[in-house]
Amino acid sequence: MIRYILRRLVLMIPVALLVTVGVFILVRLSPGDPALVFAGEERDPNALAAIREQMGLDQPIPVQYVVWLGHLAQGDLGRSFQTHQRVLEAVTERLPATLELGLAALLFSTSVALIVGILSAVKRNSIVDLLSTSITLAGVSFPSFFLGIVLILLFAYIIPGRIFPPGGYVPLTQDAGDNLRRLVLPAVTLATASLAVNLRQVRSSLLDVFGHDYMRTARAKGLRERTVIARHALKNALIPVVTLIGIQIGAIIEGAFITEQIFFWPGIGRLAVQAIPSSDYPVVQGVVLISAFSYMFSTLIVDIVYAWLDPRISYEAATA
Amino acid sequence: MSEAALPVVLRVPQADRASTIRYFARRNPRMILGGALVLTWLALAVFAPFIAPYDPIKVNPTDALLPPSAGHLLGTDDLGRDMLSRILWGSRISLSVGLISVGIGFFVGVTLGLAAGYLGGTFDLVVMRGIDALLAFPALVLAIAITSALGPQIQNAMIAIGIVAIPAYARLTRGQVLAVRSREFIVAARTIGATPLRVVMRHIFPNVTNALIVQATLSTAFAILAEAALSFLGLGPQPPLPSWGQDINYSIRYLPNLKWWMSVGPGLAIFSAVFAFNFLGDALRDALDPRLRRSG
Repeated sequence: MIRYILRRLVLMIPVALLVTVGVFILVRLSPGDPALVFAGEERDPNALAAIREQMGLDQPIPVQYVVWLGHLAQGDLGRSFQTHQRVLEAVTERLPATLELGLAALLFSTSVALIVGILSAVKRNSIVDLLSTSITLAGVSFPSFFLGIVLILLFAYIIPGRIFPPGGYVPLTQDAGDNLRRLVLPAVTLATASLAVNLRQVRSSLLDVFGHDYMRTARAKGLRERTVIARHALKNALIPVVTLIGIQIGAIIEGAFITEQIFFWPGIGRLAVQAIPSSDYPVVQGVVLISAFSYMFSTLIVDIVYAWLDPRISYEAATA
Repeated sequence: MSEAALPVVLRVPQADRASTIRYFARRNPRMILGGALVLTWLALAVFAPFIAPYDPIKVNPTDALLPPSAGHLLGTDDLGRDMLSRILWGSRISLSVGLISVGIGFFVGVTLGLAAGYLGGTFDLVVMRGIDALLAFPALVLAIAITSALGPQIQNAMIAIGIVAIPAYARLTRGQVLAVRSREFIVAARTIGATPLRVVMRHIFPNVTNALIVQATLSTAFAILAEAALSFLGLGPQPPLPSWGQDINYSIRYLPNLKWWMSVGPGLAIFSAVFAFNFLGDALRDALDPRLRRSG
């Protein structure tokens, strides 16, 4: 197992380096001179040359990359062109909001997917099953930003009493009740796409498991149906679901880009989206890198957990 | 007495792809429905200039913020532009971005997959690490990063979504090439002197087309959704061009005034177009590619 983990880590190194090269090249592709953006109103050629030298822009591109990578290795993602704040600091400030939203969405999508998925697999072709397949079908095609808007319209404006506010964020430490009230709509919005995928997976892997001999054996032993499902079916059926959830944890920042924008949620996604029009490349670059690394890391963890949960998976085959 | 050699002709029924599709279409009404939805959207996009009742860009202040009525079936926006006309014209942008970006991903991905699988060795190693690096990014984040670097334009959105689509095609194709590379018919083709290009195009590629058709349909759905998301973030076509995602973003400021028709029209358009391709893709998957069929 340790050899497998080490091998996976070693294999990750070239991919991670390629990711950094990709992100670096993307920023260099961007139209416009970073020095001009950084300088703001300053147009004096001497001052601009000084800024270029200070930012290392007068060096050849490969040298710039190595210097940038060196800074990156020390956790230095540069400074925002606009606010001149350190990017890592800006990201860390907004991380709790994004994590709170992401984890709430994950909790919602996983618990609903498990409950509805199990019911729909056990009572196939029932109303619950019909509901579950409809959610699955619609959920993957429904754009999250449109769902967010429909929810805002309904719960903040149309239904009297303003059940949930249309947006904004209050830190959990400041007012827990208000924080939770403001969390509901964005969390449901963010959860819908993953809910559809998880629900489909729970249902189809349970149905897969139901056909196996050990299920018949368990029933033939005289076990109660509840025990058969909880002990024998779920344990095996949930392995692919665990994989999905792991990958969704890694993709929290991806979902945050859109949802945070709709609900004025001050997280990492909104930070990046607001940096785009002002060409604040270090911020965009930093958020993209962090989201890629967290995605890669969660995929690695998922592979390890998967191999651990299902001993039939050969480590050798998995690495091939 | 010599036995006359009887000419025995064994007629093996050859199931070509068209008849396979017809056979399954009878048994698979979902494919007909999905296909009809996709064709409807394509027809609406192609004929938008003739169907759209108004100019989608022309500002008409006297008609501003009208709710749906007989004159404006889906209402008007704050500049008096007819929402239905904007949605119909917007479908041209959404569908063309969807189809062209899938074309880019398909062409580059399949070429890389065929070459990597057939040539193997260092080329395969380098290409597949590159593909791994692309897969290391969450899809939408990569599309946002590329579009924001290249600049917010329709062409750049197409390129970005196309690049994001490459890994799926490359991996699918390479896997299939590896599966058939050492089979007898490939060895036979090589033995009689077929060039590598001929072996790949005539003998290997046909084995992967079914899976690719399914992938292309499903990734068109993703591409339309991604284009809408990019436009929503201001990274797609720029105003005053009609675009579904951008129109939804614009409508947010009118939510407190309950001008719901400004959001609902474009939102349902995105949903129905994405749903059409997803639905058709799922049905095609069942018909053409039983190995990928989902249980349940």
